Amino acid sequence: MGVSLHRENSLVRFLRWVYAGVDRTIFMGLKFTFPGRFVSPLGFLGMITFVLFIILGITGALLMLFYEPILDRAWNSVQTINDVIPYGFHLRNIHYHASNAMVMVALLHMYYQYFSGRYKIRNEILWVTGIILGVLTILEAFTGYDIIFSERAELAISIAASLTNSIPILGPQIREAFFGSGFHDFVLRFYAFHVFFLPIVLLGLMVVHFPRFLVFDVPIVMAISGAVMLTGGVFPVDLGLRFDPNVPPGITVPEWYLTGLYAFLRSAYDKFTTGVAWPGLFIFSLLIIPFIDRYKKFSWKDRPLITAIGITGLAQIIVTTYWGFYIDPDRTKSLLERLVIDPVFLYLVMILLVPLSFGFTYMMIKLAKNAEANAKLQPKKSGSGKSSINLPQRWIFGVLIALIAFQVYLNIAAYYAVINGMKNYSLFIVGIMMLVFAGMFHIFRHGRSMEKAPPPKPTVPATPLKSKPSPAVATVPSKPALTPPGELSKSTPAISNQVDKPLAPPPVAKGSSSSSQSSSTTQKSGDTKTDSKVKMADIPESKSIRE
Amino acid sequence: MAQPSPPGSGGNVSRRDFLKLLAAAGTVMTFAPFVDWGKFLPNPSGLLRERQKVELPDGSQASVKTFPVNHSEAVIYPKTNDPVLNKESFKVWQFIRLPVELGGDKNDVSSFRMYSQVCLHLWCLWKYWPQEGRKRGECPCHGSMYDPLTGEAFAGPASLQAPPSNVLPRLDLEIDSQGNIWVKPPNWSVNGNGIVGFGRFLT
Repeated sequence: MGVSLHRENSLVRFLRWVYAGVDRTIFMGLKFTFPGRFVSPLGFLGMITFVLFIILGITGALLMLFYEPILDRAWNSVQTINDVIPYGFHLRNIHYHASNAMVMVALLHMYYQYFSGRYKIRNEILWVTGIILGVLTILEAFTGYDIIFSERAELAISIAASLTNSIPILGPQIREAFFGSGFHDFVLRFYAFHVFFLPIVLLGLMVVHFPRFLVFDVPIVMAISGAVMLTGGVFPVDLGLRFDPNVPPGITVPEWYLTGLYAFLRSAYDKFTTGVAWPGLFIFSLLIIPFIDRYKKFSWKDRPLITAIGITGLAQIIVTTYWGFYIDPDRTKSLLERLVIDPVFLYLVMILLVPLSFGFTYMMIKLAKNAEANAKLQPKKSGSGKSSINLPQRWIFGVLIALIAFQVYLNIAAYYAVINGMKNYSLFIVGIMMLVFAGMFHIFRHGRSMEKAPPPKPTVPATPLKSKPSPAVATVPSKPALTPPGELSKSTPAISNQVDKPLAPPPVAKGSSSSSQSSSTTQKSGDTKTDSKVKMADIPESKSIRE
Repeated sequence: MAQPSPPGSGGNVSRRDFLKLLAAAGTVMTFAPFVDWGKFLPNPSGLLRERQKVELPDGSQASVKTFPVNHSEAVIYPKTNDPVLNKESFKVWQFIRLPVELGGDKNDVSSFRMYSQVCLHLWCLWKYWPQEGRKRGECPCHGSMYDPLTGEAFAGPASLQAPPSNVLPRLDLEIDSQGNIWVKPPNWSVNGNGIVGFGRFLT
């Protein structure tokens, strides 16, 4: 190449100096990993949640410049943001969809940790703070859509206030103290909760919740951001009608993460039981689950009872979430008839879901164990299910240039869309640009690893896919410490091919085998810093929690 | 860390434990005054110690001599100098003089009622309809209906709510020698005047 970016210019040196200085801060305890190749995002859903939180913080801070939490101006100020302020529509939509994404990803994160049993290895504090974080996240999202003060927001506020009022003995006092009295107070205080109290508590808890091993995967983060914008472009959030206490509101349902609760409220059973006690019980049972779970093993397959409980909860959530959305479309019936859910029916279904979920779990475990046994009987297929696409260097440049050209085109298109008032189209395009960037970064990363990896030596058996773990590794240890990193990466797909420091082979052999969980936990103490970093990046099954 | 208590100390509290106890007591005493600071949280605008005028929309004070029977007006209580805050639903009250059959022709306080206009169901503003055959409070949103005599919901979603959420908050009134009507200082609790948007126990 004629032109190359010098790596050691003053900026790089400055950044290195800063990086070295960070060693003296609290961050020295954290091990940040930027994966060198694609790894399943399931392992770092927490980090994605955090990234969404940061996106929400930035867009929210910008929205604060124009939003007015005053009784008669709240809705109008949101309308101004949406319709008048340049890019206000974009920021509001990103804020809205990122909030939904954050709740969704946080839920996925929780259930992934739940079924993989990660709270077992002295991660109880992480689990408990995570549950509290989840609850606060939902409250944060809830207060957010309340302060628009549309019809739907008013319904949500009235339900929140009446549920608080329904707490025995101290309910009304708690409501007065925290929500104030009257709509003016509600809007102003929900705003204070939304922009300060809750985020500050969230941040404080995150300090406790952050594990020491963090994965920051640029392509996935960009893809998530792009997906948020794309969704905002396709489903732009509406303003709702301004709340007017003299006009009958249309039928509105809360956001999807609260329709489960709403289904219970619609059963018209006692407010405190349905709206406070049931969710409280659910959260409490989640909090104590790591202390109940006494199984010695991690996998969901080896913890049938806990898995069954989790599946039951999940099934009930899914059913009630749908049920909360469902409103009888028959307009000849009275509104009350359409809205109220028969409590006997609802609770019967909830109870019925228990044996069904237990049966389902039993079946799934049987099937999984059978599949495992079958897999052991049959000889391993080459490639162990993973295929790799190896683009030649020239093609990588070509693809990158094409992607950049595509981005230039998209930039122009997005700009024209804004000029022509096609705001959601513009947002949609920006979303695609983020996705293109994700792809570009992935290609870039791939290209860099290719550059570092010289072509494999002919000592490796000439199977079409040279990723068969055991024979390939067996050939390597002949020259243990001197093996160039590229050769390692060629022969064992479980190991990143971007790590520029040579790896010691023994962990490789263990790591590539299926029983990575024991190996990674035992190695962690003995390994050097770089080694454990590599572990984090490359073995999705490794048993320490990753954000 | 715990040192064995020195031999012959006699008491069952060691010197070290006693010291800890003193420190704990001091800490509690230091932070005790802040408990009362919790009063910062509720909005004090509703805490009124003096009687207030019933001020009709035209600015005059309601009078037992002039206010027609079987009639209602929306009254702001407690009224502020801020027009925005006066728009607050939670400050809107329905001031009713009952129809004749419910004793509205008497020239004393028993013929008047003042209920929160915030419907107990989902906080729309209900109002009193004096027409023959209605003579009741009706909410435009989901059709809750209120008995003007007691403030109890007798139809619609509000009537299905468990007490205290089926009876409207009600302010106590008094009439002075000139016949002007005043609102007595309220007691905002479910057993007193009720809580706006939540309800009141019917006593």
